[in-house]
Amino acid sequence: MAENKKDNLYLNPVGKNVPRIDGRGLVTGQTKFTYDIKLPNMLYGKMIRSPHPHALIKNIDTSKAQKLPGVKAIVTAADTENIKFGSNEFFFPHTVDQLPFESEKVRYIGDEIGAVAAVDEETAVAALKLIDVEYEILPAVFDAVEAMKPTSPSIHSHVRNNIGLILPVNFGNSERGLRESDYIREDIFYTQSAAHACMETHVCVGQWEEFSNKITLWISHQAPFKVREALAKCLKMNLNSIRVIKMASGGGFGGKLEMLPMDFAACLLSKKASGLPVKMCYTREEEFSFSRRKHNMIYKLRSGVKKDGTIMAITGEVIADGGAYCSYGPTVLAAATMRIFMVYNIKNLKISGYRVYTNTPISGAIRGFGGVQSGFSIESHMDMLADGIGMDPIEFRLKNITGPNMVTTNKMIISSNGLRECIEKVTEACDWKNKYRKQSHICRGIGIGIAADVMGSKMYKSHESAGSIIKIEEDGSVYLFTGAADTGQGSNTVLSQIAAHELGVDFNRIKCTSADTEITPFDTGSFASRVTFISGNATLLAAKDAKKQILEIVANELKLDAEILDIQAEEVINKDSGSVVMTFSKALELCYSFNYGKQIIGTGSFNPRTTPIDFRTGEGNVSGSYGFEAQVAEVEVNKETGEITVLKLWDAHDIGKAINPQSVEGQIEGSLIMGLGYTFFEDLKMRNGKVMNANFANYKVPRSINIPPMESIFVETKDPQGPYGAKGMGEAALLPTSAAIANAVFDAVGIRLKELPFTPDKIIKALKEQELNDI
Amino acid sequence: MKITLTVNGKQHELDLNGNETLLEVIRDHLKLTGTKSSCDEAECGSCTVIINGRSALSCITIACDCDGFSVETIEGLSSGEELHPIQQAFLDKGAVQCGFCTPGMIMSSKALLDNNPRPSKEEIKKSLDGNLCRCACYQKIFEAVYTAADKMAK
Ligand code: FES
Ligand code: FES
Repeated sequence: MAENKKDNLYLNPVGKNVPRIDGRGLVTGQTKFTYDIKLPNMLYGKMIRSPHPHALIKNIDTSKAQKLPGVKAIVTAADTENIKFGSNEFFFPHTVDQLPFESEKVRYIGDEIGAVAAVDEETAVAALKLIDVEYEILPAVFDAVEAMKPTSPSIHSHVRNNIGLILPVNFGNSERGLRESDYIREDIFYTQSAAHACMETHVCVGQWEEFSNKITLWISHQAPFKVREALAKCLKMNLNSIRVIKMASGGGFGGKLEMLPMDFAACLLSKKASGLPVKMCYTREEEFSFSRRKHNMIYKLRSGVKKDGTIMAITGEVIADGGAYCSYGPTVLAAATMRIFMVYNIKNLKISGYRVYTNTPISGAIRGFGGVQSGFSIESHMDMLADGIGMDPIEFRLKNITGPNMVTTNKMIISSNGLRECIEKVTEACDWKNKYRKQSHICRGIGIGIAADVMGSKMYKSHESAGSIIKIEEDGSVYLFTGAADTGQGSNTVLSQIAAHELGVDFNRIKCTSADTEITPFDTGSFASRVTFISGNATLLAAKDAKKQILEIVANELKLDAEILDIQAEEVINKDSGSVVMTFSKALELCYSFNYGKQIIGTGSFNPRTTPIDFRTGEGNVSGSYGFEAQVAEVEVNKETGEITVLKLWDAHDIGKAINPQSVEGQIEGSLIMGLGYTFFEDLKMRNGKVMNANFANYKVPRSINIPPMESIFVETKDPQGPYGAKGMGEAALLPTSAAIANAVFDAVGIRLKELPFTPDKIIKALKEQELNDI
Repeated sequence: MKITLTVNGKQHELDLNGNETLLEVIRDHLKLTGTKSSCDEAECGSCTVIINGRSALSCITIACDCDGFSVETIEGLSSGEELHPIQQAFLDKGAVQCGFCTPGMIMSSKALLDNNPRPSKEEIKKSLDGNLCRCACYQKIFEAVYTAADKMAK
C-alpha cells in the first residue's frame, strides 16, 4: 500500500510529471479558444487604421460606410472619452501615451482611429474602404538614431528629440575602474526586431449588456486583469462592470500583455450595436503588421578588466527603437540595462538606456523583455574580454559571477543562487574540457552564455499581487480559483499540483478555474516569469488555510490538538503517533455534518517583499527571488555556404525546485528554440515604417527540421521564499542563446558576430574580412 | 452546389456556394472547431486534416473538390473516454503547451503513422515540417509520435 502511494503520480504530486490538467480537451480538439467562439447574431469587427506613418487627421467621414448594408456600428474617437492608456503608469506616468483611437495625429502605419462592426468580415472590410479620412501627411522618421537628432520630425510633443525614456544606471566610479584596468575593449552590437507570432492571433469577443451596463470580454490573453483595468479607465467604468474572461489561449510570449485598441473597440462597438456581440480577430498579416514587436536595439559596451580576470568597469549605452508609443518600454529598457547585476558582481557600472520614438509599429514586451538583446551583447562582450586577456571564458565567468546570500552593488538581495553550479554542470555535461579550442580544424566550436531572471518586477502596478481561493465540497472535491493566466505554459497544472500537495489530496480532486476577473481573485498576469513563484505562493497559502479549517473540525470532534494533525496522501494523520485518524473524505463529511456545517474556503494572497527601484540610478531589489542559468551551444560552420549548424544545446537551470519537471523542460526547450529562431532568422523587415514580411512564408519561425538535440539540467537550490522552493523560469533560457552560439562560432572559425540575426551572408562576409586581416 | 462529404465516418449532404474552403465547412457548417487556422495560406499546418488517408491543409482545399471524399478531423480520433494512442502520447510526453497547433500536429502524425507505422526519428521530423509550433514543443512531439508508433505496433 505504502509503495503504491509512493508510485501514484497524483498523490504528493509536487515534483512529478503530472499530465496537463487541461490536456484532454487540447488533444481532442474540444477545448474552446477565443478563436472558436461564435455567438448568436455575432458581428465581426475591423479596425480603421492609418495608411501613413505620420500624419495629422483633418477629418473622418464615415457616412458612406454607415449606409453599406450589413454595417451595424462604427466608432471613432468621437465616441470615446479620449483617455490614454499605458503599461507602466505607476513609475512612469509620462509613458502613458496611447489613445484607444487617435483623433488628431497618427504615428505609425496601422495606427488605430476607429473600428467597424458588420454582419460578416467581408462587409466590415468593404466598409473600411468607404471611410474617408483626410490626412495632412507629415515627414516621418524610421530609425532610432536618426530620430534622436534635433532636426528630425517630432512624434510626440511632450518629449524632446523623440527620446521617450531615459534610464541611467550608474554605480561606483567607472572612469577610475577603466583607468585601473589592464585591458579595455569596446564593442557595438546590433539586434533586430522580431514578432511573437503566436499560433492563435490576437482575438477577442466583446459584449455589452444593456440592462446592467456591463461588459464581458472573452479574450486570448496573458493579463486579463490588466485588460479590465485599462478598459475601465478608458471607458470610465467600475472594475466590476467589466468582466474579462481569458479563454484557452494559443500562446502569448509577451504579445498579449496589454489592452489593445481592438479590445476596446470590440466592447464599444457592441455597445453601439445595442449589445450584439462583436468579434475581432487578427489575420496573420495584421498580427505581424500591427501587434507589439521586439525592440531592435543598438548596444554599445566599453569595459575594462584586470589581467587576473577581475571586471573593473562596464560602461555603455543602449538605444532602443520604441516605435510609435511607449507600451512596456520602461520594463524592457530596465531589463536591458539592469539585469547584468544579477549575473555579475560589478562594482563600477554606467549604462544609459534610451528608448526612442519612431514612426514604426509599437515595440513592447516579448519573452525576456530586453534581456535577449542585452544577453547577446553582454555575454558576447564578456567572452571577448576573457579572450583579450587570454583567460578561459568559463574561468572568467566563475571569477566574476554573483553568488548566494549576497546584496548586489545596486542592492538586489539574492538568496538562493545556483549560477556556479549551473556553469559547472553544463560544462561537464557538454564535455567542455575536451572540446573548447580543440575542434577548429573541423570548423566546430563550443560557446557559453549565462543569465539570470526576476520573478515579477512590480513595474506594472507597483505591487505584484496574486490571489487564490480553494473551495472544498462535501464529497471532498476541490475547486481552485486562481487569477493566473495559463497561456500554455501549464500554470493551471502546476498550481493544482501545489494545491493538491499541500492539501494532502489526490490531484484528480482538483478543478482549476483561472483568470476570469469576475470569479477568480486578482493576479497581475503571466509575465516576468512570476506565476510559479508568486501565484504558487498564493495557492500554497490558500491550501494551508483550507487545510487548517478542516483539521480544526477534526481536532474538535476528536478532542485533539489541531497542531498535531496533518493531511497526507488522502488521510488525516496524527503527526505525533504516525497513526491514521480518518480519511480525507470522512473529514469532509464531518465538516459538512449536522453540527458543523462549515464551508471550507481557503484564501491566499501573496505579494513578494521587495524594495522599489530608484530609476535615476537603478538601485533597488526588484524581485523576491532570482533564477539563474548557464547555457552551452556546440556548432559547426560551413565556410563555403556560411551556414551554421547547431549540433546541440545544453541548458543548466537553477529553478529552485521543479514542481513539474516535464513542464519545466518544455519551457526550457521552448525558450531555447525561440532563441535559436532569433539568432538565425527571425527578423521583422521594415521599409518606410511598413512590415515587409507579414506572413510565415517570409517571416521564418523555427520548424521541426531546425530543432537540434537539447539537454536540460536542473539545479534545485530550494529557494527559501519559493513554494516548495520553486522559482519561475519561463524566459531565462532564451536570454543567452544568441551569445552562446556566437561564442561557439568564434571557437569554431575565429570570427566575432556582433549583428543578429546570423545569416549566411554575414558569416561569409566576416570570414572574408578575417582572411584579409590575416594576409 | 451539392456535395457529399464523409467526416469522421459520418456522411453529410452539403449545399455550398462553391468557393468555401474545407476549413470553413468543417468549422462553420459542421461545427467541428477542433481544426484550427493560424495563417489561412498554407504556411502553418494548424488546419491539417486527413483526406482519403493523406494529410491535407484544409485552409487551401476547396470543399467542392472533395465531393465523395472521406475526411478525418481531430474529433474523429478518440472514442468516448478512450484517447487515440497518439493523443495519449502527446499528453504523457508533455507535447502540448498552448495546444493551438496540437490538432494539426496530431493529424499530421496520424497521417504519417497510417502510411508508415514505424518511422525513424528523422522521418518524423521531416514529415512534421509543415506544422508550426510556436511554443516549440518539437522535441516532446517527436518523442510522442515515436512512442505512439511503438504502442500502436504492439
Ligand atoms: S491555416 Fe492552413 S496552413 Fe495555416
Ligand atoms: S503547443 Fe502552442 S503552438 Fe504548439
